[in-house]
Amino acid sequence: MADIPSIAASVSSLKQHLEAHRYICSDQIATAVYLAYHLRKPVLIEGPPGVGKTELAKTTAEMFELPLIRLQCYEGLDEAKALYEWKYGKQLLYTQVLKQTLDEVLQGAKGFAESVKRLHEFGDIFFSEEFLEARPLLKALREERGCVLLIDEVDKSDHEFESLLLEILSDYQVSIPEIGTVKARHTPPLVFLTSNNTREISDALKRRCLHLYIPFPDIALEQRIVNARVPEVAPQLREQLVRFIHDLRELDLKKVPSISETIDWARTLLLLHADRLDSELVRNTMNVILKYQEDIESVQPELRGLTDKAVRS
Amino acid sequence: MDQLLTNFIRALRNADVRISTAETLDAFSTVQLVGYRDRQLLKDSLGLVLPKTPDEKAAFDTCFDQFFSFRERSPLPTSDTLSSEDDSAADADGAQPGNADAGSGDSQGKRTGQGERTNAATQIVREDASSTESLGNGDISAAQSALGQLLTRANTIEINMAISAAGQQVNVHEIELFTQKGVYTRRMLEAMGHGDLQQEIFTLTASDAIPDRRLAQDLGRRRDWLRERVRDYVEHQFLLHADVTGRRLRESLLRDLRLSTLEQRHHRLLQDLVQRMARKLVAAYSRRRKVFRRGQLHVPRTLRRNMKYDDAIFDLQWKSVKTDKPKVFAICDVSGSVANYARFMLMFLYSLEEVLPKVRSFAFSSDLGEVSDLFARNDIDDAIALALRQYGNGSTDYGQALADFRKLCLGDIDKRTTVIILGDARNNYGDTRSDVLKEVYDRARRVIWLNPEPRPMWNTGDSEMRHYSPYCHQVDECGTLTQLERVVSRLLQSAR
Repeated sequence: MADIPSIAASVSSLKQHLEAHRYICSDQIATAVYLAYHLRKPVLIEGPPGVGKTELAKTTAEMFELPLIRLQCYEGLDEAKALYEWKYGKQLLYTQVLKQTLDEVLQGAKGFAESVKRLHEFGDIFFSEEFLEARPLLKALREERGCVLLIDEVDKSDHEFESLLLEILSDYQVSIPEIGTVKARHTPPLVFLTSNNTREISDALKRRCLHLYIPFPDIALEQRIVNARVPEVAPQLREQLVRFIHDLRELDLKKVPSISETIDWARTLLLLHADRLDSELVRNTMNVILKYQEDIESVQPELRGLTDKAVRS
Repeated sequence: MDQLLTNFIRALRNADVRISTAETLDAFSTVQLVGYRDRQLLKDSLGLVLPKTPDEKAAFDTCFDQFFSFRERSPLPTSDTLSSEDDSAADADGAQPGNADAGSGDSQGKRTGQGERTNAATQIVREDASSTESLGNGDISAAQSALGQLLTRANTIEINMAISAAGQQVNVHEIELFTQKGVYTRRMLEAMGHGDLQQEIFTLTASDAIPDRRLAQDLGRRRDWLRERVRDYVEHQFLLHADVTGRRLRESLLRDLRLSTLEQRHHRLLQDLVQRMARKLVAAYSRRRKVFRRGQLHVPRTLRRNMKYDDAIFDLQWKSVKTDKPKVFAICDVSGSVANYARFMLMFLYSLEEVLPKVRSFAFSSDLGEVSDLFARNDIDDAIALALRQYGNGSTDYGQALADFRKLCLGDIDKRTTVIILGDARNNYGDTRSDVLKEVYDRARRVIWLNPEPRPMWNTGDSEMRHYSPYCHQVDECGTLTQLERVVSRLLQSAR
């Protein structure tokens, strides 16, 4: 079992532990985890795709040895899929099966009022925890030791869903009309929300969160990231490929390569037993880092120059 | 220290970072956690709690650096040697503070903090001295002016108090525009007795006695230091109180200014303003647009559907709601007189894409054509410019334009469509073709006519409002941004 309080004792210790789990990060990112733990506030992570937003939540869960509960957002996601749902099927099945019993219960009851009264004696059996299907958000609140709750790509969900999150994020509780309020057991979950900024997140949600913006890393940091993820790559090649990617990000592209693409590329080059970049190699592996044909075509004429620059400097 | 944080948050708010009270409380607990000692950690931490967009983060970074730099200024230069400083301090103590001026008056009585003297800069000062007339170490005269004495005493606390007192005296918190920084700096220096000090330095420099000239040099350095300090102070106050107050002032003026009188240089600011207004409207209305299939059982329908199975419930029915997306047709007069209004209305409509996904726009002066494509392919600014160039020439002919519109897309107008016509209805005494407008009126959900002219001007001269207004659900004036915002907001309400 991980000793959570001692890991989270300081920013530098957090940073070290994250690095031990192969997540190389800036001080700011470590500070975010530090504050999230100590202030018990959710973190809203924004940034270009592929800079490790989701990875941060995963690594944090790994580091604290807590279960990771993940909720992937999409348009149309609602409380029935995110929070809880009644097991309608089970409810209906039981009513059918219990028809007999019901008849017995109601036998001899005179008039409507008395029948209803007898039924009332059974209480709200059909709306008890037995018939409650817990979805990720409710599950996260019920975890005994606390957990890491990752609400991924919250910008893809609807505005209504955001409002639904507000209660959970500020008070770590949800209200279920038929049962009452469910509060987090013992330790509230550590919540990470990620957003790719396809739309503005509402102010109400932002207000309740710490806001972490992860930009593309600088050259040195990215080299360390590649080193942590693909340690087999020779230092010379690592330097060259990271520099090349950085130059590429300067260009006007539809989708600039992100860290995950850098890592994929490093793996690819490793497979090809390359020890240094040359323009032929780059041309052949271009489709690993650029995901649009028009991007590949627009980079094509500058390939040689870019490669030379990355190799020489 | 709490005061410091509150002030910082105030400066941030002035720099357009929106911070709620809840976030202020968060900031306090954050500071309690991380403390003030580690500057970078403080910056990182507050940077997570307070700013919530990349723009705000940039503003936060500059604001933080400016705000907390004040405390890291170089210390006050002390006299050339420690001994002579002690001498002069002793001298100053002996001198009568009779000619104390109002600015530093209240600080004269407080000499408790003598121990605070900053000696660290002695080294630097000595190096500085070599560049000017070398007078060597030795006796130095005592300063006569009150400010000179204050500076020679080199008590940071006292000086800071004198600076704040002077600040209060000249009402530095009323500063509104950055051009006023210089004025306030000068006024504050004057209030502190800068004039007397200048005079003294002048006299001393001309003096024959070496100790006097030495004092003049020393005082000169101290004066420069003081100037810098005061400038920082004003800068700080400006951050706290002004900057955006000035901008807000301009913005509130712009909101109510007639759009046609706006100058080119205001367009940038105006565009921001339009965008912000639009964002507000989007936030208010987007909630209502989407109602999705909910995960709820539709009991009546389920029972009805399952009757055929002898009430055994096989086929579950779920609640679902379909919502109409409103369609908006905007017809804009882009002839010279109205072009500017058209620009801002189109800007407004296209900024609302999130809640009004189906805007089709048409431009005309005499002939009418659809310009939706231009907006789909270019950014708003370029699209407007292109539309103006393509359709902006020619004398206004509403009759022709309406006829064109009818030919082009009368069939597309249905009961979900809102038609907005922006124009002054000045038809050069031509045929009004209000019969076409009637047709549109009969088919559309709403027809809204926006006229940029003030109401009293309607129906004067060649203005044909009286012919058109019977066939509009709503006729409005839209000369200013505020009016425009009101109209668009009402449009969103009805178009739902």
